[in-house]
Amino acid sequence: MKGPIASGAILLVGVFVFIKYLLPLVTAPLPASLIYLYMTLAFSGIMLYGTMSASSLESLMGPVFRFLSGEGQSGTGKMARLAVLVLFPLLVGWQTYTSLAPSDLPPGENRTIHPAPPGEFVGLANPYQNNEANINMGKGLYAAYCSPCHGANYDGKGPAAKGFNPPPANFADPGTIAQLQESYLFWRIKKGGVGLPVEAMPWKSAMPRWEVELPDEFIWKIIMGEYDGAHQSPRTWEEDD
Amino acid sequence: MLNKLRFLSTIILVGISGILGSTVGFASDPPPADEVGASVSIRMYQVEGILPADDPNSPQWASVPESEFNLAPQVHWPERIQEVTVKTVKVKGLHDGQNLAILLEYEDPTDDVKDAAAIEFMVGDKKAHFAHGQPMLQVEGGPVNIWFWKKENGKALDMSAKGFKTLSTQEKQDVSATGAWADGSWKVVFTRALKTEDEEDVQIEPGDWRSVAFAFWDGALVSGVPKEKGSQKAVSSWWSIRAEPSADNSIYGWVIFGLALAAAFELVVVRKLRKGQSA
Ligand code: HEC
Repeated sequence: MKGPIASGAILLVGVFVFIKYLLPLVTAPLPASLIYLYMTLAFSGIMLYGTMSASSLESLMGPVFRFLSGEGQSGTGKMARLAVLVLFPLLVGWQTYTSLAPSDLPPGENRTIHPAPPGEFVGLANPYQNNEANINMGKGLYAAYCSPCHGANYDGKGPAAKGFNPPPANFADPGTIAQLQESYLFWRIKKGGVGLPVEAMPWKSAMPRWEVELPDEFIWKIIMGEYDGAHQSPRTWEEDD
Repeated sequence: MLNKLRFLSTIILVGISGILGSTVGFASDPPPADEVGASVSIRMYQVEGILPADDPNSPQWASVPESEFNLAPQVHWPERIQEVTVKTVKVKGLHDGQNLAILLEYEDPTDDVKDAAAIEFMVGDKKAHFAHGQPMLQVEGGPVNIWFWKKENGKALDMSAKGFKTLSTQEKQDVSATGAWADGSWKVVFTRALKTEDEEDVQIEPGDWRSVAFAFWDGALVSGVPKEKGSQKAVSSWWSIRAEPSADNSIYGWVIFGLALAAAFELVVVRKLRKGQSA
């Protein structure tokens, strides 16, 4: 009797562990709403499969139906059924209340963190040699211009970081510059927050538009210093093929 | 019969899990760890009767819940400053359906002639950059409305900007402000009508969200010059604010409707199941 219900449940837990804990090892973690959507899909799939034939329908849903119909129940079974029947409408009522009550949470905004760069920046190569002199010059410039926000330790925790929403990027985190090409950084540093397209909400970004203050040479060298200091390396073209 | 049962069982289980999921909050992300404790919005509570609009020390403020926001030294554009006096601001808001009052409370060890505080809003439907509504490359931005209080003359200026060096005092002045310093803290209360006739102004419609940001200047003199002035100030980026909508009792009607619907649904399911089983 327990067979199909138990294996369905194990399958669901497996899917959950996979998308919640295993996938983030190779890509960025998924937002909860997406995980939830995938779980619902997996669940519907299991339901459809389990109810394909009359016999599988009976073994999957039989216990559930008998529980709900209450036929021939007594003792704890009866109480449990009553509890479910009372709790369900209460949950619906509570859900209605929380979704209608005025909330102090402004409507969620899904900001795209890494939008596609404009065409003219795609595939640009760093024209400066990756040597110690250039890296050190880049680190010096980084300390002067970038560290107040992105932090002396490249961790996004500079003295100015706390006041900004979204916060300055944490370059030591594998989810930021390690996922990006040097040409992408060049675009972001040169054009800043105001250079972002609408889906990235440029009006919220504190990232300065450095082209008005720094020559391209400085920006390329800062990029070298930034990767070196954060112990990351840029994503290269080969990986994309 | 088989199809019907399949349909019924799928509906029951997916429906229940959907409701459970959204109630328990599986479907939304918790705020990131370092944002816990800091506010994301301000609610201007609706009051009956008198608004403490020109009295930062009115006992009426004491019971109003506050929001708190971190501030940063302004390092986004030149002239930068690396260290500022005001680190956080506590904000409270009230409205009476006609006018609003916003109280800013922040630590500043000394009361100086050049101390100042400002609130900035997006105006209209166009998104504006928090740094003075500066132009954005790919998005047509809008103007910002800035309410600027100076200790020096004890008044507020109603101002507009659309980019750096475009800050100007509006022709029509609609804002007033009162500041009071005590024990190392400023309390400044700003007041204005929720709605004005001026299209350069932010219009506050109860229930609708608006974007808001803050700036503070510590005018303490260092070798005869104010420590913070112009773009050298403490700033925040955009947060959200709204005037509380009038109490809406229809929500309880909907809750009862939801309860009744769920109960009716159960009744139908159970009856169907009993019939199916005895057949
Ligand atoms: C005023 C604070 C501030 C300063 C100073 C600043 N940044 Fe940023 N930066 C940000 C913020 C906030 C973000 C995140 C929002 C965004 O992506 O625009 C960001 C994002 C970035 C990104 C994008 C990372 C990603 O994962 O997409 C890069 C690259 C970057 N900054 C590099 C720099 C460099 C290099 C400097 C110095 C030349 C610098 N920043 C100075 C605030 C700042």
